[in-house]
Amino acid sequence: MEALEKEEMLNLAEEAVKAALKKGATEAEAYIYEGQTTEIGIERGQITNTNRLIDSGLGVRLSVNKSIGFSYTNMLESKEAIEKTITGALNASKAIAPDQDWTSLPEPKPYAAVKEIFDPQISELHPEDLVKIASLMLEAAANTDKRVFPIEGSAGAAVISTALANSNGVSSFQKGTIIECSLATIAKDGNAVTPVCFEFNAERSYAIKPEWVGQESARRAISTLKTKRIKTKNAKLILTQFALQSLVEFTLKPAVKADNVQRNQSAFKGKIGEQVASDRITIYDDGLLLGGLRTWPFDGEGIPHQKTKIIEKGVLKNFLHDHYTAKKEGQESTGNASRVGYLSTPQIEPTNLHLMPGNQTPDQIIDEVTDGLIVFHLQGAHSSNPLSGDFSVVATPAWQIKKGEIANATRGVMLAGNIFEVLKSITGIANNERKLGYLVAPWVIVENLKVIGK
Amino acid sequence: MKEVLSKVIDKAIHEFGAEYAEIRAQRLSKSVLLLKEGRVDTAKKGTESGAALRVLVNGAWGFSSVGSLRIETLNNIVSETCKMAKMASLSLKKPIKLAETKPVEDHIRIKPEKDPSEISLEAKIKTMGSINKAVLSCDKRIKGCTIDYLDLTGNDHFLNSDGSFIQQDKLYVWSRITVAASQGGIFTFSREEIGSTNGYELFDKNTPEIVADRVAKRAIEQLAAKPPKGGAYPVVLGPNVVGVFVHEAFGHLAEADLALSGGVLANSIGEKVASDNVTFYDDGTAEGAFGSFKYDDEGVPAQKTLLVKDGALVGLLHNRETAQEFDVKPTGNARAEDFRVAPIIRMRNTFMAPKDYSFGELLEDINYGYYLKSFRGGQANLDGTFQVGIQEAYEIVKGELGGPVRNASISGNALKTLFKVDAVGKDFELWPGRCGKGQVAFVCDGGPHIRVQEVLVGGSA
Repeated sequence: MEALEKEEMLNLAEEAVKAALKKGATEAEAYIYEGQTTEIGIERGQITNTNRLIDSGLGVRLSVNKSIGFSYTNMLESKEAIEKTITGALNASKAIAPDQDWTSLPEPKPYAAVKEIFDPQISELHPEDLVKIASLMLEAAANTDKRVFPIEGSAGAAVISTALANSNGVSSFQKGTIIECSLATIAKDGNAVTPVCFEFNAERSYAIKPEWVGQESARRAISTLKTKRIKTKNAKLILTQFALQSLVEFTLKPAVKADNVQRNQSAFKGKIGEQVASDRITIYDDGLLLGGLRTWPFDGEGIPHQKTKIIEKGVLKNFLHDHYTAKKEGQESTGNASRVGYLSTPQIEPTNLHLMPGNQTPDQIIDEVTDGLIVFHLQGAHSSNPLSGDFSVVATPAWQIKKGEIANATRGVMLAGNIFEVLKSITGIANNERKLGYLVAPWVIVENLKVIGK
Repeated sequence: MKEVLSKVIDKAIHEFGAEYAEIRAQRLSKSVLLLKEGRVDTAKKGTESGAALRVLVNGAWGFSSVGSLRIETLNNIVSETCKMAKMASLSLKKPIKLAETKPVEDHIRIKPEKDPSEISLEAKIKTMGSINKAVLSCDKRIKGCTIDYLDLTGNDHFLNSDGSFIQQDKLYVWSRITVAASQGGIFTFSREEIGSTNGYELFDKNTPEIVADRVAKRAIEQLAAKPPKGGAYPVVLGPNVVGVFVHEAFGHLAEADLALSGGVLANSIGEKVASDNVTFYDDGTAEGAFGSFKYDDEGVPAQKTLLVKDGALVGLLHNRETAQEFDVKPTGNARAEDFRVAPIIRMRNTFMAPKDYSFGELLEDINYGYYLKSFRGGQANLDGTFQVGIQEAYEIVKGELGGPVRNASISGNALKTLFKVDAVGKDFELWPGRCGKGQVAFVCDGGPHIRVQEVLVGGSA
């Protein structure tokens, strides 16, 4: 199946909007998505599989007198299927009571110039190049230590294009690339088996480091071979980005979404202007961040991406809005309507949630801990209470830090606390930021968290 | 359709040197609703069709997915898919081989009492609206109610180079109700899922009142609950928690691909992995259950697979590739979410078998401990470490149920914990859920009430 060209996609979108209006929609929006993914898969120490996915389709959102309907199809080759999709959206809207808070679809607005989201080197990549990346990663892991066993991994590249048109005159197209590699390893020595140690690297341009991924996941597995139990106490912790992301995903992220705030389901409701975190914390939602994995010119409703201050020096400044939640309060959208391909309606999501780095190196941060832990991954963060912010999770892998040195790995350690208290008790921020999906953050030091051991 | 698919497969085998090839063609329709406090946030209908081609060339897999069933498109992907597989095979140390299976020709038709594709969106919105109303009218302290609804219908055509051709209808109906309550700065929430591979009659059994009562009461009760004391305690687990424990802490370890990847069960067949009280099944045949189907996505019939018998590990969950590696028969656990992804080993309906204790007998010997009734989420690692979050729990004091406990979670090593199961109840419940392993699979898990001598209970504050 050939890739769709820019003009083809824009045409399809504009035609769908026209057809919807003709069939009786008050307003209409058409979103065309195409993703082409090539991936080389690693299983149990060797490259065993290749995967190629071409996925394209159309999502139609329309209103009839403030009743909103949505429908999708992936059968773009068929005029009949597209017609049916429009009828489907119309029928869906007819099934719903009007929503008086709905104002309209967005108006066109100029987009900021966004650099480095598309790299022709990635779009023209051969599968052989991905095999090479996967092999480099495997070799790096094997050369690190013989006791390492790579259980799973991949090297993949994707080209993603979206076109969006609506009846207010929005007609926009964007195209971007992403390349990534990942490796999950364990180490085995006699009867000892470590937890899975995962590392990855994803970039918008052709600049990934497979050797680093291989080495890091291997080194981490080896260093968790020998573990010690620790006693229950309150301790100073370093949360690395993976651990931080787990907590943010299920607590902070839902709290800053405007729809949750408007529904009284955010712990941050009514707290704009209040101190909600340590004064060291500044967080932006930056949809234009150079190299960001969620950096694009426009969001899932055709609204320009922007840089929005969420928390400045610990003070809550803004929530994340889409067009609907913003208009409900007489504001402008922050460009945070996100879509997962053509099947999904726009939903509020962060773009690149950027926790600003500090000045300290990771070594200086570790140096500050006399008796504590450094935590790489958390297990079970999805069982947190998103409203209260309470969490109770397993830290694995995690290492004890004694007098500024990383000592032994630990096992069976649980952490319990409240994310909003954690935000207030961050006393140190490193300068080693990295990208994990929507989160761009460095390591942080948290004071006085409850560590449950034996 | 059969003719088109077999031409594609012939091409892979005869022109491009594949030793095995299979193709799945699918047509899927979905209705999706999202209600927030009764307001319809999303009303969505959609159709998709596409094909997934998988080939084995020189022992390496090639997989391609396209959103088209046109013969030209399908023919075009054959050469590229085979070429990519061949390329991947160059560095293979150990080529992949498949266990033999009997070729099957079958046509599975589903005839539900109430076919969701024949029910109007209006009627579905009305049902979800009644659930919302029933929830919100339970108590003033209930502040939020989010309802997700999904039905999926469609059909599958599977054809492979071993001579199998299977047509199979698909039908799933699912809903999740999430309720938020607050009082005096305390926030609680509660969640419940219902799901079935029978039809829309699911909502006749789970009426709005019944569902609302379960989920809303829990959120309210949590408001007055206290956090657990952290530490090791005896616990009684409810069927819902036993289910997630069996699934997360044991079931994933029993997936043969993960077992081969260094999981703790790889070399334990025939060995004791749990106390004598423990018997586990993974059953793809339970009537109407959310994880049931007739044939898996490699064309292997689903079956009831015994995993642990009286504490001894007797089997694992296999696809054709791992079955060959272990020299056993495939168990029908290869599942793909849709045509966009290749099948991998997944659970179906996984549960612990009941025995003979009453609920009161399970409680009576516990001086101080916890009754963990309903879970909020769970996760496990290959080394056997597990964590299960709890959304409904109570103290057990001197053999009697005490007050409610909020935000508890349990963790430990799966096998060590299984050896501490010292009593198993005579009741039984199966709960629907969705399991993520890179792709989503609809499953059930469950069991009876059980008692565990000691488990690490974590709690906030």
